[in-house]
Amino acid sequence: MSLTRPATPGGPDRTPEGRASLSLAGTALSRRSFGKLLVAAAGTAALTACAPRSGTPSPDAPLRVMAINHVWSQAISAYFPEFEDMIGRRVSMQMLTADQLSNSYNVKLNASATDIDVMMVRALQEQLLFARNGWMADLTDRVEDTAFDWADFQEAPRDRSITRDKVLSVPVVTERPALYYRKDLVEGLGGAPQTLDDLLAMSLELADRDNGQFGFVGRGQRAGAVSQWSSFLYSFGGDFTLADGSSGIGTPEAVAAYEYYGRLLHEAGPPGATNMSLEQAMPIFAQGKAAFYVDADAIYSNFLDPSISTVQETVGFAPFPAGPAGSKPHNIPSWSIGVNAFSRMQDDAWAFVQWASSPEMVARLQAEGIPGARQSAWSDPETLASFPPELAETMRINAENGIGHDRPEVIQVGRARDIVGRPLVAGILGEDVGPVAADADAEFRDFLDRDNRQQEF
Amino acid sequence: MSRSTTDAPSLPATSPTTAGTTGRTSRGPKAPRTFEQANRRLKWLMLSPALAFVGLMIVFPLIFTVNLSFTDAFGAVNADNRYIGLQNYADALTDVRRFWPAAWRTVIFTVVAVTLEVVFGLALAMLMRKAFRGMRMVRTVLMIPLLATPVAIGILWLLILDPTNGIANHLLGFVGIPPQEFLGSVSQSLPTLMLIDVWQWTPMMTLLLLAGLTTLPEEPEEAARVDGATAWQRFRHIILPMLWTTLLTALVLRAVDALKTFDILYATKGAGGGSSFEVETLNVYAYGLTFDYQEYGLASAVLVLFTLFIIGVVVLLRLRSGRKSA
Amino acid sequence: MSTVATRTPGSPGPAATTRPPVVLRPPRRSPWGWLRALAITVVSLIFAMPVVWMIAAALKTNVQVTDPSVGLIFSPTLENFRSILADGEILRSMGNSLIVGVASTALSVVIAVPAAWAVGRFSMQRTGSVVLVARIVPAVSLLVPWYYLFAQVGLVGTYTVLILSHMFVSVPLILWIMIGFFEGLPVELEEAARTDGLTAFGAFWRIALPLAAPGTATASVLAFIFSWNNFMFALILADENTKTMPVTLFSFISYASTDWGGLMAAAALMTVPVVLAAVFGQKYLVAGLTAGATKG
Repeated sequence: MSLTRPATPGGPDRTPEGRASLSLAGTALSRRSFGKLLVAAAGTAALTACAPRSGTPSPDAPLRVMAINHVWSQAISAYFPEFEDMIGRRVSMQMLTADQLSNSYNVKLNASATDIDVMMVRALQEQLLFARNGWMADLTDRVEDTAFDWADFQEAPRDRSITRDKVLSVPVVTERPALYYRKDLVEGLGGAPQTLDDLLAMSLELADRDNGQFGFVGRGQRAGAVSQWSSFLYSFGGDFTLADGSSGIGTPEAVAAYEYYGRLLHEAGPPGATNMSLEQAMPIFAQGKAAFYVDADAIYSNFLDPSISTVQETVGFAPFPAGPAGSKPHNIPSWSIGVNAFSRMQDDAWAFVQWASSPEMVARLQAEGIPGARQSAWSDPETLASFPPELAETMRINAENGIGHDRPEVIQVGRARDIVGRPLVAGILGEDVGPVAADADAEFRDFLDRDNRQQEF
Repeated sequence: MSRSTTDAPSLPATSPTTAGTTGRTSRGPKAPRTFEQANRRLKWLMLSPALAFVGLMIVFPLIFTVNLSFTDAFGAVNADNRYIGLQNYADALTDVRRFWPAAWRTVIFTVVAVTLEVVFGLALAMLMRKAFRGMRMVRTVLMIPLLATPVAIGILWLLILDPTNGIANHLLGFVGIPPQEFLGSVSQSLPTLMLIDVWQWTPMMTLLLLAGLTTLPEEPEEAARVDGATAWQRFRHIILPMLWTTLLTALVLRAVDALKTFDILYATKGAGGGSSFEVETLNVYAYGLTFDYQEYGLASAVLVLFTLFIIGVVVLLRLRSGRKSA
Repeated sequence: MSTVATRTPGSPGPAATTRPPVVLRPPRRSPWGWLRALAITVVSLIFAMPVVWMIAAALKTNVQVTDPSVGLIFSPTLENFRSILADGEILRSMGNSLIVGVASTALSVVIAVPAAWAVGRFSMQRTGSVVLVARIVPAVSLLVPWYYLFAQVGLVGTYTVLILSHMFVSVPLILWIMIGFFEGLPVELEEAARTDGLTAFGAFWRIALPLAAPGTATASVLAFIFSWNNFMFALILADENTKTMPVTLFSFISYASTDWGGLMAAAALMTVPVVLAAVFGQKYLVAGLTAGATKG
C-alpha cells in the first residue's frame, strides 16, 4: 500500500465542473451515506463491546476445553454426554491446529483469560514455560485420589507431567516413532530393517528417484524434524544435553546422527524435504511413493484409510531400528491435559481431567486405537486388539526402549529446536555437517546459559 | 498582527494567505485571520479524534517498545522484568547468525525488487502513455495484482511454482530448461520471492508514473522532437528530469513498504523464513522473536533498530531529492 | 520551416496525450504501433494470467490441478468451493473480514474526513504530517506493545482490537487522499455558503462533504480493500472466533497442503471483492491511488 501526498487541486478527473455535476447527486448521497456511516460505526462499536465479561460462571456456562485437532479429541468428544450427565454442565471443545493452539494460549493466557478451563498441552514443548508463567493449576493433591491411580501411569510420561515437584498435567496420548515400511518392497531384501545401517542400505537400494520412487521419507522442516530425529540421536548414543547439562550436539555421536539422517533424506528422499512437516511427508508414503517412513505411531490410521492411502494392504510397522547404541526411540507424552490456573471452574475442570484420563476411559480409547499413557491399558490384551498386530508389537517394544523426551528440555523450546535443527537441515541439503554442528554447538552452549538463568523460578 | 501562527508552511512574506503548497485561490488580507481565529476551536475539534487516535495507537506504544527494549522481558507479558540497559541492543548487533543475515536479506530484497519495479514500471508507463483502445481494460488488469491479498498471491504462486505440479516448470520444459525447485530450494527462494514482489507491485509504479507522465507539459518534448532529438534522447533529457520528483516519491513509498514486506514471505515459507531461514528478513525475524520465542525484550530492541533503519532510508532518499519533508 | 522527419510514425498528435479516453488513430499500420500493441498485450497477459490460472484451478478437480499439462480447456466444477465452504469456517472468517473491514473503514472515515478538511482548509500541514507519520513507522514495531497492552486489558481476540489496528492503517490512508480533495475544492463555494449564514462547520457539512463524496467513496473502497487484505494484525491479535480470511487462508496452507483445488478456491474467494472493485471502480481507484503523483 503506498500513496503519494496530494497537493495539486485535483487531477485530470476532478475539474470543478465535474464536481458540480456530481454534487447534486452527491449532496443527497453523501449526507445520507455519512449518516449511514455513523450508524454503521456506532452499531459495530456496540457489537464489538460484546467482549467476554468476567464474573462467577452461571450454571449454564459450558466447561470450555481447548484441544488440538487430533484423533484423541475426536474420540473423547463422542463420550461427552456421559460426562455432561455426571456433572450437570455442558462441555464445549474447540479444536485447533498446533500453531493456532500455541498462539491462542499465548494470547489468552497472557491476558489471564478465564474462558479456558481445560487445556491440551504438549508437556515437552510448553509446560516448563507455562509453569514459569504460572498458567497451569497445581494438580498434585488432586492426582492422589486413589481411584485415579496416578501410579498406573507409565513412568516416563508421568515424570514429564511434574514440574518443580508439582503435577501440572496428565498425559493422555503417548507417541513413539514407528518405522512404516512397504512389505512388498522389503520382501526381496529380507524383511524390515533391524538396524540403522540396514535401513540406510535398503533405502538407497530401493530409491528410484527419477521415477518418483523414494527410498525414505521423513520430516525435514527444521523444527518438526528435530523431534523425529531425536530417536536417531539417542540410538547413536547422543543426547541434546549431556549429563552435566552442557550442550550435546557437538559430540561425535550427535554429528554421526545428523549425518545419518541427512544422508537418508538427501540421497534417498524426495526433493524439497526441508519444507516437509508431517502434513507433507505423510501423503508421500500414503500414496505409495516411499519405501520407508519414520514418524509418530499415532498417525498409522492414515495408511489404512482407503480414501487417502494406496498402501493399505502393503504397509508394515516395525520397531525403531538399532543404531550403534541400540534401539532408543523416544516415548513421550505427546499430549496432556491440564487446568487453566485462571479458570473459574477449577473443580469441574479437574472432574473432566479425571474422567478423560481415568483407567476406564483410557482403556476404552486405547481400544479405539489411541495410545494412552496408562500401564494398565497397555497390559490389557483387549485394548491392543484395535491396533494392527504388528503395530501393537512395535509400540510395545518401542515403549520398553523408550527415552522420555524428544526435544531439548529447556524453557525456550522454540529457539532450542531452531538451533539444534540447523545441522540437521544442513545434512539434508547435503552440506558438510561438521562445521555447522560445531557452530550450532557453540550457539547452543550460549543458549543453555541464558535458558538456565530463566529456569530459576 | 501576525499571520496565523499555527501551521502554514513557510510562504512568501508578501502573501498573508493560508494557501496550501500549490495553486489555491487566495483571499483578501483580513478574511483569513478572522476565519482562522473564529474557527480555531472547530479546527482542533475536527482534527482531534485523528490526533488522539494516532497518539494512543502510536506514540504510547512506541514509547512502550523503546522502554521494553531495555528490559529482559520474556515469556509472559505480565511477568516481572528487569532493566538490563543496552544488553539487548548489544545482543542483536553482535548476532551474526540471525540478525545480520536478516538485515542483509532485507536490504537485498528491497534494493533488487524496488529497482526492478521502477525500471519495469517506467518502461510500462512510457509504453502506455499514449492512449490506445483497451486502455481501460489494461488498467483494470494492472490493478488486480496490487490490490489482491498477498496471502492469496502467495498460495497462487506456490501452485504455479510447485516443482512437480506447477505450470512454471512445465512451461520451462518446453524450452529445455530443467525443472527448478523455486520456493522449495534454499538458494532460489529469496530471488523467487523478489520476482513475485515485482509482479505484484510493478503495476503500482506503472500507475503512479503514468499519472505523472500524463500531466507533463508537451512543449519541451515537442520542441526537442522538432530539433531532431531521438526518442531515447527525449526520454533521458526531457521526460526523466521532469518526472524526477514523482519518481522519487513513488520510490520512497515503495521502498518503505518493501522493507516491511511480511505477508508474502510468511505465507510461502512460514515461521523463521524457511528451514534455513532463507527468507528471514528483519520483519520476519522480529515477528518470530516475539511470537515464537516470546523474547519480548530482544524483539523490541530489534524493532527499534529496524524502525530507525527505515526512517534513515526515508531521510536519506528525501535528502537526495533535495525536497523538504511534506 | 518545420521539420517533420522526426515524427514517430503511428503516434497520434500531441493533443491526445493528456486525456485517457480512447482516441481513434489514423488507419496507418506501422511497425512501431504493432510492436507497442504487442508489448502491451504481452505485459497485460503477464499480469493477468496468474490470476486467471488461480480461478481456473479453483474450478478444476485436484487431479486436474496437479497435472500441469491440463491447461485452460477443461470442464469446470464447483466441487472445491462446495467442500471448503462446507464446514463454515471460511464463511465465518469472511464474515469477520467483512465486519472488521466495514467497521474500521466507517470509523476511519468518521475520524479522518473531518481532520482532512481541517488540514486542507486551515493549512495545518505540520499537524497533518504528524498523523501521516503513521505511514512510515512500521506497524510491526507497534505489535509488541499493542499485544502487551491489549493482552493485559483482555482485548486480544475481540473485534475491537482488530478494528483498532486496521484503523491504524486506514486513517492515514483516508487522510492522505482526502487532504488533496479538500485542498482542491475552491473556497468560494464554502465562503458563499457562509455569507449566506452557515457556520464553518455547516459549510463543511453541507458543501464540502457532499462535493468530496467521490473522494470519500474512493478512499473508503481502498481502505476496505487494505483491511480485507490485512494479515499480520489478525495473525496475532485475532482468535478462532474473530480471525479474518487471510489468517484462515494461511492455516489452510499447512493442513490442506495437498488440496490444491480447495486452496485455490479459498484464494479465489479472497480475491473476489478486489476483482469486483477493480473492474467497476477502476477509474476512481486509479485516481485515488495516484492522487498527487502529479506535483506542481
